[in-house]
Amino acid sequence: MSITLAPKRRGSGLGLAMPAILLLLAFFVVPVALLLLRSVTEPEPGLHNYRTLIGSATYAKVFFNTFFVAGVVTLVTVLVAFPVAWALAIMPQRWASVIFAVILLSMWTNLLARTYAWMVLLQQTGLINRSLMALGIIDQPLQLTNNLIGVTIGMVYIMLPFMILPLLGVIRKIDPAILQAAALCGASKGQALFRVLLPLAAPGIASGGLMVFVMSLGYFVTPALLGGTANMMLAEMIAQQVQSLVNWGMGGAAAFILLIVTLGLYAVQLRFFEPKPEVR
Amino acid sequence: MTTPYLHINGIRKVFGEVVATDHVELSIAEGEFMTFLGPSGSGKSTTLYILAGFQDPSAGDITIRGKSILSTPSHKRNIGMVFQRYTLFPHLSVGENVAFPLRVRRMGKSEVDARVKRALKLVRLEGFEDRMPAKMSGGQQQRVALARALVYDPPVLLMDEPLSALDKKLREEIQFEIRRIHQETGVTILYVTHDQEEALRLSDRIAIFNKGKIEQVGTGPELYANPATHFVADFIGDSAFLAGELASVSGERAALRFADGTTVAAVPLHGSGRAGQAAELMLRPERIELATEPGPEGASLPVTVEDMTFLGNNTTLAARTPWGAALSVRLNFGHPLAANVARGDRLHIRWSPEAAHAFVRG
Ligand SMILES: Nc1ncnc2c1ncn2[C@@H]1O[C@H](COP(=O)(O)OP(=O)(O)O)[C@@H](O)[C@H]1O
Ligand SMILES: [Mg+2]
Repeated sequence: MSITLAPKRRGSGLGLAMPAILLLLAFFVVPVALLLLRSVTEPEPGLHNYRTLIGSATYAKVFFNTFFVAGVVTLVTVLVAFPVAWALAIMPQRWASVIFAVILLSMWTNLLARTYAWMVLLQQTGLINRSLMALGIIDQPLQLTNNLIGVTIGMVYIMLPFMILPLLGVIRKIDPAILQAAALCGASKGQALFRVLLPLAAPGIASGGLMVFVMSLGYFVTPALLGGTANMMLAEMIAQQVQSLVNWGMGGAAAFILLIVTLGLYAVQLRFFEPKPEVR
Repeated sequence: MTTPYLHINGIRKVFGEVVATDHVELSIAEGEFMTFLGPSGSGKSTTLYILAGFQDPSAGDITIRGKSILSTPSHKRNIGMVFQRYTLFPHLSVGENVAFPLRVRRMGKSEVDARVKRALKLVRLEGFEDRMPAKMSGGQQQRVALARALVYDPPVLLMDEPLSALDKKLREEIQFEIRRIHQETGVTILYVTHDQEEALRLSDRIAIFNKGKIEQVGTGPELYANPATHFVADFIGDSAFLAGELASVSGERAALRFADGTTVAAVPLHGSGRAGQAAELMLRPERIELATEPGPEGASLPVTVEDMTFLGNNTTLAARTPWGAALSVRLNFGHPLAANVARGDRLHIRWSPEAAHAFVRG
């Protein structure tokens, strides 16, 4: 799900775009507006929902957790996705297509099923703990679920394709001869990575990273199943407010803050990383 | 013989079924400008890439001052290279591109600045430090690439068809610059091209590549005057080839007989051959003279004029030999025959015996 702006066209595209605009209005803008309205009217008119959210230590912790987990997940996803994208970019096209298909297939497999699969793998008596113990690497099962480790593993796995795709896009565009040139200039593998490859891949890292970060901010299923109660995330809190406490005002306010943060991040990305038209 | 400066010693490279280079053997003197000339796919780039360390040879060795460089990784070979494609780092300014080799060598700032300045001056791009590569023309980008390849004073510079993407006029301009830079720096250059004019203009010596092998090495005039093989004769300069057979061989000279029994005598023969073997007579158009009478010593052939084309400084005649082989003959502007020659005229082409070559076919 990538957010791309339609190319600017001169003249009368508006008529053709009308159905799409109406659809967006009906299904996105109106519900968000209603939510915003409820956040400033329920239980009574005013900004008190926002004041509570920003003011209280409990909620501050939820916000912190949300950003922290999203940050960790984004970082780990970049670290895992980069070598994978690199390998896909340089391996023979036929193999790359197969591996790519596998990645896409996993994207289309039910999210809940995949998260439960991780639960089974990561739990105290799960495959990972038992294997590690059998190999004698650990004596006691590791606590891999109901904490940050579980959330990170589960979410990184789900986010990987969203990072690999944009990375592959930028890496495929890098001419291998540029890296050969760097080598003859005297750059070791590490120097070539940090001085050439990473800077050239930066737009892909930025757009993939933003997408992963934003999606992670609003994630519900994985944190709810693999995370502990100690690190509740914003989406869990919104669900709790709306479902258990039927507090639409608070839920709406939290959702709205999330939306503003997301749009802010997107604006930053557009400003700094959108590829500029090439001048030749 | 003393050890050569750079020695390419029996390099062979196989990609699966394809033999890219086969026993390439070449010695290059320090400060020499050596060009690899040959058609596309003849193994020129592969040889250069093995020198650069991007590929390992299947067999053979490369030495500089007698020491093998094959076990040294690319980034430690201290060799400069300019590529066919534009390979400037697109995220770095011109100044930072040229500074790159110095930065990875952790050179001090003042030294870096001084060297970048000197290198940009060498390629006549002073003051372009802050320009981004994308805002420069192809010719400028290749000059920056040249500055980047020379800024760390590599003893050897490799260039793989660096000008092939540029138009003719710009190409000639930069060829001139490359010559000047070679003279100013004294760097040993290995230059790859498929353009014979470029090779002749730039090089001290030229190695002619064909199907992964070197056919002949020599200076431009040597190759032109004394091509060792049909391939070299065909590749360097225009030439006409007339197919026939060896009538007789004596020492390094041969007589050739053509389909209708016409013979020519005392042609320098390349390679060994016996009477009766298929062979070709090679003639350079500018060494052919048109006359109304046959020449002495059998160094002439009768021809019939079929067509004339006026091209300014010369008139080019399409002619045919008695046995039907086509041949083109140039008459310089002002040649007494140029004004009077007509279609269907029966004339003779003549040459000095040294100007013809016979190649055994096979
Ligand atoms: N990486 C490679 N994999 C397979 N074949 C290659 C590779 N590089 C070159 N070749 C083959 O080797 C031969 C020589 O190529 P090359 O050295 O690039 O020729 P040139 O530079 O003279 O045009 C060609 O037949 C080419 O197809
Ligand atoms: Mg080539």
